[in-house]
Amino acid sequence: MKKQRGVQVVGWLAVLILLVGLQPLSNAVNYRRLVLGMKSPTPLTKMVDFDPTAVTGVIMGAALGGFQGVAASMLWMKMEELWDSGKGTWLECLNVMRTVTLLDPHWLEPWRITGWHLAYNLYVETKDPKLQAIYLAKGLDALKEGISWNPNTHELYLELAWTYFDRVRDYENATKWFRAALQFPHPEFVERMIAHAYERLPDLDRALDWYDYCLKRNPDDGTAKGATATIRLRYLPAWRLMQAGKYDEAIRAIDRYLEVEPNGTIALHVKAHIYEQAGREREALDVWRLAARLSALDHQARRKANELAAKLGVTLLPSEQAPSYYLEQMQEPRRLEVPQRRLR
Amino acid sequence: MDLSIEVEEGTIFGLVGPNGSGKTTTLKLLLGLIYPTAGSGTVFDLPLGSPEYKRRIGFLPEGPYFYDHLNAVELLAFYGGLFGMSGAALQDRIEELLHMVGMWDRREIRVRNYSRGMLQRIGLAQALINDPDLVFLDEPTAGLDPPAQMEMRRLMVDLRRQGKTVFLCSHLLKDMEPICDSVAILARGVVRRQGRIRDLLGAESGRFRLRVAGGNGFSLDSLRDRSLDLKIEGEEITMLFANQQQALAAAQEIADNGGTILELGAQTRSLEDVFIEAVAAGGDE
Amino acid sequence: MQAIYRVAVATFHEAWRRRFLNAILVFAVLIIGSSWTLTYLQPGAELKLLIDIGLGSIRFFGMLIAVFLGVRLISDEIEKRTIHTILTKPVTRAQFLLGKFFGSLATVLSNMALMGIAFYVVFAYKGSKFMVQGAAQGSESASPGISTDFIYGNIAKAIGLSFVEMTVLTAVSVMASTLFSWIMAAIFSFFVYFVGQAADFFKSLANPARGTGFGGQIVFNAIYGIIPHFEVFDMREAIIKGTYVGWDTLGMHVGLGLVYAILIMLVAFLAFMNREV
Repeated sequence: MKKQRGVQVVGWLAVLILLVGLQPLSNAVNYRRLVLGMKSPTPLTKMVDFDPTAVTGVIMGAALGGFQGVAASMLWMKMEELWDSGKGTWLECLNVMRTVTLLDPHWLEPWRITGWHLAYNLYVETKDPKLQAIYLAKGLDALKEGISWNPNTHELYLELAWTYFDRVRDYENATKWFRAALQFPHPEFVERMIAHAYERLPDLDRALDWYDYCLKRNPDDGTAKGATATIRLRYLPAWRLMQAGKYDEAIRAIDRYLEVEPNGTIALHVKAHIYEQAGREREALDVWRLAARLSALDHQARRKANELAAKLGVTLLPSEQAPSYYLEQMQEPRRLEVPQRRLR
Repeated sequence: MDLSIEVEEGTIFGLVGPNGSGKTTTLKLLLGLIYPTAGSGTVFDLPLGSPEYKRRIGFLPEGPYFYDHLNAVELLAFYGGLFGMSGAALQDRIEELLHMVGMWDRREIRVRNYSRGMLQRIGLAQALINDPDLVFLDEPTAGLDPPAQMEMRRLMVDLRRQGKTVFLCSHLLKDMEPICDSVAILARGVVRRQGRIRDLLGAESGRFRLRVAGGNGFSLDSLRDRSLDLKIEGEEITMLFANQQQALAAAQEIADNGGTILELGAQTRSLEDVFIEAVAAGGDE
Repeated sequence: MQAIYRVAVATFHEAWRRRFLNAILVFAVLIIGSSWTLTYLQPGAELKLLIDIGLGSIRFFGMLIAVFLGVRLISDEIEKRTIHTILTKPVTRAQFLLGKFFGSLATVLSNMALMGIAFYVVFAYKGSKFMVQGAAQGSESASPGISTDFIYGNIAKAIGLSFVEMTVLTAVSVMASTLFSWIMAAIFSFFVYFVGQAADFFKSLANPARGTGFGGQIVFNAIYGIIPHFEVFDMREAIIKGTYVGWDTLGMHVGLGLVYAILIMLVAFLAFMNREV
């Protein structure tokens, strides 16, 4: 019948118009959800090599409908039971943790714990440097993978930056990831951590800038006050001389302080840095080697020593060698960009 | 396909046809359940399927099935509600109908516990809830036991008495014959024969039929010569005579020889005969 | 209106008498109630588990009810031919379809509302305990891993959004019911729901940055454009992260859900109009 056919034509036209008109509304809702933090975007590009099971996790999660969170929570509790009872080995715990991150990738806690567990517990557990290198790299990767699922909140940036700062003593990466956390609402201590990291890098101007910022925000910030005073008193004279190109005077200035405290890590770093700026690499290498011998945990000094020694063809003592994970990492440098806040 | 059916108001009309003849399709078209692929139809000058049209019709489907969690009163209230009926008017109408179809005493029973006959009764009641002018009944007697069939036929005649037009659809010709005023015979989507039932059956053929049993001493050959046709089935002999005199004479003769007259009368055709004839006539189409 | 209302009421009453629906409801309330026995395990974990069980149950069982109720709605009427006695009354097909839809929607939402009440009671009692316990431990946020900001409001809003979500799903299953037999319709509805849960994932699959070919981009973008984005009605992340969700945002979500429902019901009507009954 003609009338019927007319209704069909008009009806399907209306369907088409609604479907097209719906897209802006749908986009607006999705945009709002991202802006408000009601959801995190599904990672678009690979920040790190994804565990291929991540895809399975997404599909499984969808198939479970509302119960994906329950499954993740139950597994997480199981993991804690394994952990607390001591019945499960740490590797078993790790497997369960990873499964939880796949099932509920927008739950931050499992990512945080997984990264920490790998970089700290499993790292310490083994004495094999190769394994240590693997655990540390995997710990960092887990945090990065977590960030790619949850890029719009500070927690995992902070965790990653702290791991670089405290575990790896890689202050360049530490400052980079601490600063990434600044994009989002964050606790007050993040700025102070950035200053600490710059101080150790060393980049005293930036360190002072950040301490300054902390003091302006809170004039009673004791840590910032103390750190500023220390820097000005101990290292800044040498630093300023270095910047003026008066390298010999700068070395003398920092040496005066080193007489007071011969194994001052920051002072040694500053001294090595002055030599590097002056282009006196062999002397810089000696300072880094000294710092490495003085502190087994001064991984930065060990790495720098390693880099310079390789360049200059000097053989290092075993106690001056860079930690094995550095050697592993240096073979395959990872280029990582700080993801900018993505809204779409 | 052209289909034209004439139904006189206030009569019982039967649409008969073998399975697959297009009965159901015709009925669905008339009810507005399906739309014609081309053209349109009207009844009471109202387009088929229009709400105004639906207000004036009632329908009892074949082997009806209803929301079975309801009881008779609730079910009728639901259907009444679809017509916008409510309150005391609806309650009165429900009571009247339940009395009419003999379900008043059983009004509290849920539909899921109904027998076939009860379903048919409540089905008729729901078809009449809006006091329609035209009632469509699809195979109303199918699957019923003989008393229930009789009751159903009585109800249909009652409807005609109330001035309603009843449109029957059935393949049970024996049930249709006694109550229909007119019929249309449908085969392969074409109306083969249509008209008042009396005209179709052609009551006066002039021939007489005699059926007897038992007796001996009369001449079977003589009878065979005199009759148009003679059949023997066991004890029974059935004969066909050209006129009443011959039939009476033969009956007398047999009775005198100790036989029993089982049947003697004018030969009539049944609807079934007409139906078979009509369907066969168009069979080579 | 009268006809729609009558059909809806009849559908609602009939649906509530379905045993499997009652069974699902009882089961869901039992599961939600079972979280009452949840004891202190680890700060944060039990609070999250409580929320996940409650909201998860409402959404999961809501989904089962919406699909299994919806998919039989029209096909059953046609199969049992109850539709004949209704459509020959002054009821248009559109009225019939809407009546059936609203009737089943009322059933779905009332079932979910009962689950929601059960959950809210459990949460109001247990949730506060877990939050206090977390605070007593002196951790900086009451429960690590889960924020307690706006938690009561967010949970109520999450339940509200799950209502909208199931409205859309009911429409999908009713539409499927006008097209397919009920088993086919159920498979179709679940498929649409699960794909819709991962709509964003399909969007990201379509991104050329992932190395997707041109054909793949077209297919994935088409899926993303057509499939209802059921995932937008998920508020779990906002609850966990303690995000404040304003009424305007909530209104946009509801609006989107309604447009989806209208669109789907329109398709259902267009399919049903031509359907032989």
